Amino acid sequence: MATADWVVLAVYLVGIVAFGMWSGRGSKGMDEFFLAGRTMRWWAIGLSVMATQISAITFVGTTGQAYTDGMRFLVVYFGLPIAMVIICATLVPFFYRARVFTAYEYLEKRFDARTRTLTSLLFLCGRGLSVGVTLYAPSLVLAVILGWSENATILVMGLSTIVYVVYGGNRSVIWTDVVQMALIWFGIFLCVGLAVARLPEQVSLRDALAVAQAAGRLQVMDTSTSLQKPYTLWSGLIGGLFLALSYFGTDQSQVQRYLAGKSLTQSRLSLLFNAFVKVPMQFMILLTGALVFVFYHFTAPPLLWNAPALARLEKSAPPAELQAVRDEFTRAYEQRRAAAALLAADRAQAEPYRAAQRALDGARAKVVALEERVSGVPYNDTNYIFPTYILATLRGGLAGLVIAVIFAAAMSTLSGELNSLATATMVDFFKRYVRPVASDAQDLLASRICTALWGAFAMLVALRARQLGSAIETVNRFGSYVYGPILGVFALAVLTRVRARPAFIGILCGEAVVAALSITNAVHWLWFNVFGALTVVACGLLIDALTRSPSAAEGVRTS
Amino acid sequence: MSHNSGMHEPEIPEPHDPVPVFGSWPRIYAAVLICLALVMAGIALFQHWNF
Repeated sequence: MATADWVVLAVYLVGIVAFGMWSGRGSKGMDEFFLAGRTMRWWAIGLSVMATQISAITFVGTTGQAYTDGMRFLVVYFGLPIAMVIICATLVPFFYRARVFTAYEYLEKRFDARTRTLTSLLFLCGRGLSVGVTLYAPSLVLAVILGWSENATILVMGLSTIVYVVYGGNRSVIWTDVVQMALIWFGIFLCVGLAVARLPEQVSLRDALAVAQAAGRLQVMDTSTSLQKPYTLWSGLIGGLFLALSYFGTDQSQVQRYLAGKSLTQSRLSLLFNAFVKVPMQFMILLTGALVFVFYHFTAPPLLWNAPALARLEKSAPPAELQAVRDEFTRAYEQRRAAAALLAADRAQAEPYRAAQRALDGARAKVVALEERVSGVPYNDTNYIFPTYILATLRGGLAGLVIAVIFAAAMSTLSGELNSLATATMVDFFKRYVRPVASDAQDLLASRICTALWGAFAMLVALRARQLGSAIETVNRFGSYVYGPILGVFALAVLTRVRARPAFIGILCGEAVVAALSITNAVHWLWFNVFGALTVVACGLLIDALTRSPSAAEGVRTS
Repeated sequence: MSHNSGMHEPEIPEPHDPVPVFGSWPRIYAAVLICLALVMAGIALFQHWNF
């Protein structure tokens, strides 16, 4: 990176910490620290909800995915607007009127303390284990870009976020999210604009889209009904709906954002704002990836996108073998370049272009196979495509700005997660079981200590992630185990009159079903939430009906 | 501590918290869903457009 890029990145990091501390000054008790005094406007909460959801890996990973596989990932977001409408009409009024700090607190009012504690514990396990991954995953990419060690990247990202979240609480989280989201939007438009501007003079945007279309990179909707196939229209609409219902309706990292609303209307509007904006925003991010794909038709792509891995391969691979795959890759690239230019001039040339693309895919597969044979580990460099493009094409501080956008995406997610983990720990456990009565100052101090401890835990997991190896994958999978059953118990709470014990047993049944589905790989992960939630609801209703005495049933009907 | 407070309860009107546009929340929700349908139709059109 050039000096200007380092300056931009440093200004961002210092500026966001200072702004976070300034905006969160003056918190006096838990209501202000965790819910920003319930004074926030819809647009600030809406941007914060969006920023918490979009992680660094979402930003660099989805552009990379559009490059390699097309825009099919967009369907995951199709269920989101429907989920927002359902949440606004059902859960938000209940949470808001119950004046709760956590979503799980409501479950004690509706069921009992046991159900609340189990649900909050599931959240703490799922989100608590994934918070380290939130920090570790982008550090791999950022370390390569910045030339730092992964540990240094984790420490810079983690410490700077912890400082302002510990000091200012939710108000700092929301206001820094607003700035970070504005930066992310700016970055998206900048990248789309530059991807178009960097095309050769003879290739228009329409030509570029024709090339991307011929390669299948504009493919979004696949109407296959297979439950194992990823990213079909139906898994997006149904699985995506349940995923968004679970995440935005029952995950404390999101619920806490809109509980900070000045009124019920402000809280509802913040979610509906996301319902309007989310799909077009993800479309833009994925379109950037598709345009980067076309850019690398007229500029030679590297053999491997992960530069340190390529350097290691060049040192350790048999030279003759490496030269052979390199020559084949270069030849295939030149042929594809010519075929793409021909397609840009004449749309009837799609088939020769597709043949050239397949030849280049084959040549790259040989490079990847060589790398995997030499290193002895599976190789995937999808997350490195977009950062490589940024460093290769952006000048005058713009690369630093886009790197700052990746930092912003990572920090906004981390800040929301730390704040929500501390809230659930404080409200659902410490204040509930350990110290129910304390002064505002004591509560505030305990809340800050809780936030700092979760921050330290996140950094520890991230710093040890390499040694944890496959455990990290298990942790990621565990997150997807818990959200469906949590959604199910909230559905029982607001939609039915099921009693506490059947609801509690229902959660355990839901967890068992999701674990079985995951272990047997019976369905794609997007369906986990659907089966988990439906199992809890079905078991809860069934057990309630079987165990309800006739007089109790009569009592409910006439109440 | 069970309350059995289901969805069946009538929604309590919010004091000093008027519906911002379209006159009622169900109409706002309908607008969101219509917007989603239009966006999906636009994406389908984009995917199949003969560039």
